[in-house]
Amino acid sequence: MAVDMQIAEGMQGTEEAVPQEGALRLAADVFLENKLALASAIMIVLIVLFCFVGPHIYHTDQIHTNISNANQPPSRAHLLGTDDVGYDQLGRLMVGGQTSLEVALGAAAVAVVFGVLWGAISGYLGGLVDGIMMRVVDAILAIPALFLLLFLAAITVPSVGTLILVVGLIAWLIPARLVRAETLSLRTREYVEAVKVMGGGPTRIVVRHIVPNTIGTVAVNATFQVADAILLVAALSFLGLGIPPPAANWGGMLSNGLNYTYSGYWWLVYPPGVMIVLTVVCFNFIGDALRDAFEVRLRRR
Amino acid sequence: MTGEQAPVLEVEELQVDIALRRSTVHAVDGVSFSIGPGETVGLVGESGCGKTTIGLALMQLLPVGGSIVGGAIRLEGRDVAALPEDEVRKLRGDRIGIVFQDPLTSLNPTMTIGAQVAEPLVIHRGASMRVARGRAAELLELVGLPSPTKQLDRFPHQLSGGMRQRVSLATALACEPALLVADEPTTALDVTTQDQILELLARLRAEIGMAVLLITHDLGVVAGQADRVLVMYAGKLVEAGTTNRIFYETRHRYTEALLRSIPRMTTSREEALYSIPGQPPDLSRPPRGCRFAARCAYSTEECLAEVPPFVGPPEHVHACVHPVEQATAVGSQSQVAP
Amino acid sequence: MTGYVLRRAGQAVVVLLLVTVIVFLLLHELPGGTARAVLGPMATKDSIAQFEKQHYLDKPLPVQYWHWLDSVLHGDLGFSYNQNESVAQLLSERLPKTVLLAGVSVVLALLIAIPLGFFQALRRNKPVDYAFTGLTFIFYSTPAFWLALILITVFAIHWQIFPAQAPQGNFKDIISHPEGMVLPVATIVLVSVAFFSRYVRSSTLENLLQDYVRTARAKGASTKRVAYRHVLRNALVPVVTLAGVALPFVFAGTLISEEVFNYPGMGLLYYNAAVARDYPVLLGVTLVVAAATVIGSLLADIGYALLDPRVRYTKG
Repeated sequence: MAVDMQIAEGMQGTEEAVPQEGALRLAADVFLENKLALASAIMIVLIVLFCFVGPHIYHTDQIHTNISNANQPPSRAHLLGTDDVGYDQLGRLMVGGQTSLEVALGAAAVAVVFGVLWGAISGYLGGLVDGIMMRVVDAILAIPALFLLLFLAAITVPSVGTLILVVGLIAWLIPARLVRAETLSLRTREYVEAVKVMGGGPTRIVVRHIVPNTIGTVAVNATFQVADAILLVAALSFLGLGIPPPAANWGGMLSNGLNYTYSGYWWLVYPPGVMIVLTVVCFNFIGDALRDAFEVRLRRR
Repeated sequence: MTGEQAPVLEVEELQVDIALRRSTVHAVDGVSFSIGPGETVGLVGESGCGKTTIGLALMQLLPVGGSIVGGAIRLEGRDVAALPEDEVRKLRGDRIGIVFQDPLTSLNPTMTIGAQVAEPLVIHRGASMRVARGRAAELLELVGLPSPTKQLDRFPHQLSGGMRQRVSLATALACEPALLVADEPTTALDVTTQDQILELLARLRAEIGMAVLLITHDLGVVAGQADRVLVMYAGKLVEAGTTNRIFYETRHRYTEALLRSIPRMTTSREEALYSIPGQPPDLSRPPRGCRFAARCAYSTEECLAEVPPFVGPPEHVHACVHPVEQATAVGSQSQVAP
Repeated sequence: MTGYVLRRAGQAVVVLLLVTVIVFLLLHELPGGTARAVLGPMATKDSIAQFEKQHYLDKPLPVQYWHWLDSVLHGDLGFSYNQNESVAQLLSERLPKTVLLAGVSVVLALLIAIPLGFFQALRRNKPVDYAFTGLTFIFYSTPAFWLALILITVFAIHWQIFPAQAPQGNFKDIISHPEGMVLPVATIVLVSVAFFSRYVRSSTLENLLQDYVRTARAKGASTKRVAYRHVLRNALVPVVTLAGVALPFVFAGTLISEEVFNYPGMGLLYYNAAVARDYPVLLGVTLVVAAATVIGSLLADIGYALLDPRVRYTKG
């Protein structure tokens, strides 16, 4: 019975050593075993190709509007029809994807770099400094990201760059917490003591010994950050505070299209939504699979 | 000793395989022994030799991937290896009790001591929790826990390591099993506590008279507690006999090496500690002949050709082609540290 | 346990103070100067001057902060010139409604997620597990506003079971029209279930690997007994803290849900204020939401301390 299996699996009774596997090998195994993760990875590659290579194959004008051609259903000239100012919808989907992916990946990168540094320093130094640094994290975390973004968007005019910064500066909080927790547990390990004895200074210890061991946790989190960022930007656009046209992004396209839900212009409503869900789901599946794999590794330490 | 009364446990040519991701480990390869009522049998060997696997196999508690692929396990006459899961479940905790190595992780952190000790009685005797807890208090007293009734409502983390191990013992004994399996019961404890637990075991054996299978890598533990000793190496038994004979009339070269590697009070400071050179064989591809031959100073072609048979009188058998000669047995020369 | 609680409470106080500092700094960074931003583009020079004096804007920052904090603690969260009401008044009308929406959603989401995550763990990597993972993840990955609109299209327009707009009016009106709450709650629940169920699944899996499971089996416990009497309790203990962590996420979902369904709660208030650049409201709501999150987290942590005997029965 299934429950049996699961409970039996729990028992680590034997001394017969299960071979310890390296992190990279483990990650590779994840993709080989978890079909969902593998499919997601392939899907993401396809999406990236669609967004960045697509426009070179399927040329459209995304700068000049053409009102007389607005809201056309799919045809040979426009494979997914046109939107309310005449832009080709399929082409806009590709270009919009570029923006959405750039902002999401950029924000995740900013979040990871800043968060890892903050968390590692805080965890390593410990004591009062750690206390203060973590309370700051808690304070910013207490404010819902959307609230903060709305506020910031109300003050500034969003562009790709500012969005990356803004989303990234909100997203660094979770990696910081995770890395700090790992650092706390790592800094008492013997090999850290060994480096100290060898005369290694704090910077060396943090950068070359502690941070690399948090890669697993950080990688998992970064994947989720990308997924969250895409949704956040979409929500912002929906609320009218995203990047203004002619720049495109999926969230903006979706919120635009929603004005026409009852007009039956399905090509304005579904494609951007589907792209968002598809991309976000893939990143979530991958992150989830990675998390399963790394948690197991942590247990076997 | 064994003989007139029917044995509590009879293991016959037991074979256990563990399926790993890329290979299959033959963890136990044809092991046979028996335990009579009231007997304490020590099963010794280094890590990875398969002794814990045997202990788990007795209760069909092998981890995922592990399975009994041959042989029989007769507990009070019934072949446990052939029984379906729900039949085996009735025996677990009732006719056979087990104490594990790590007392902290073996206990449920969010359940009271009383509930945990009482549980086997609730499961197997249909007792209500209230009644079972009363019996649990008696059991806790039996294992030497101070203020037993107070302990009933405490949680594992509130007890010391030694106390927790007593709790584990009490739980294993709750239904008065015919056989107690103790898997490295003292390894996770400090030396003083080890002594206390071993003393407790001895006392319980005298008072209750149950059979005990004591699994350990520590020969000192075995010396003080066991009536008979089984020495295991790389999935097979290599020597079996009464404790005295194993220690003072050692025959198998592996047992000899094991005894030699115990640090002694009499060893001078300048002498290096003896350790057996080499590594145990890979059990996914076991060697044809004697499994210890690769590390044995006395091995010859004959040893590598095929597995040596057991020879010797029933109360002391060994499977070695070039055993220790009587006069030079290590144990007879110097004191074995307890 | 008292030590743990005191420490957490102390931390919560510090965090709250930091939140007030952040909000204050944001107040200070408003475009065009605080006075003009609050009073609006139509403000006269006189009124600006008066505002500045009233709010000590000519004094050094720490002094401003002190006065501001003082007035906040006395219940004065500013005045919305846009809505012509004090922020505190607006909040007292809207807060209970949002608490209702968020509260019901969280409870419902947990009621679904806990059994779901638990069973998924027991049937790990079987088709059922994959199926539910796929399903919950898809909902989790869907933009809430899109999901809301799909729900409206299907259930309000196509099948006309539930209304497309949430009940308006005061708290009593809302409670007496529960059918209007169904879609807004459903939106938030569908999006949040995956978040919680994943955690429960993870926690359960972790517990299934623990030694005490083996001990329970060794006592002859049936797999059912092991699952429900041993594993479930241990797996749920950390879920309480999860509820605390999830609050910001839930509030964000509430904001979107309120906007789409026109539900007169704090989220909608915030959104309208953002569009209108009504800064006192924005800041007042942020402060209250953040404070609620911090306190909610603290309560969740205390709940955890009560549930986990390892924390409850430890000295300090």
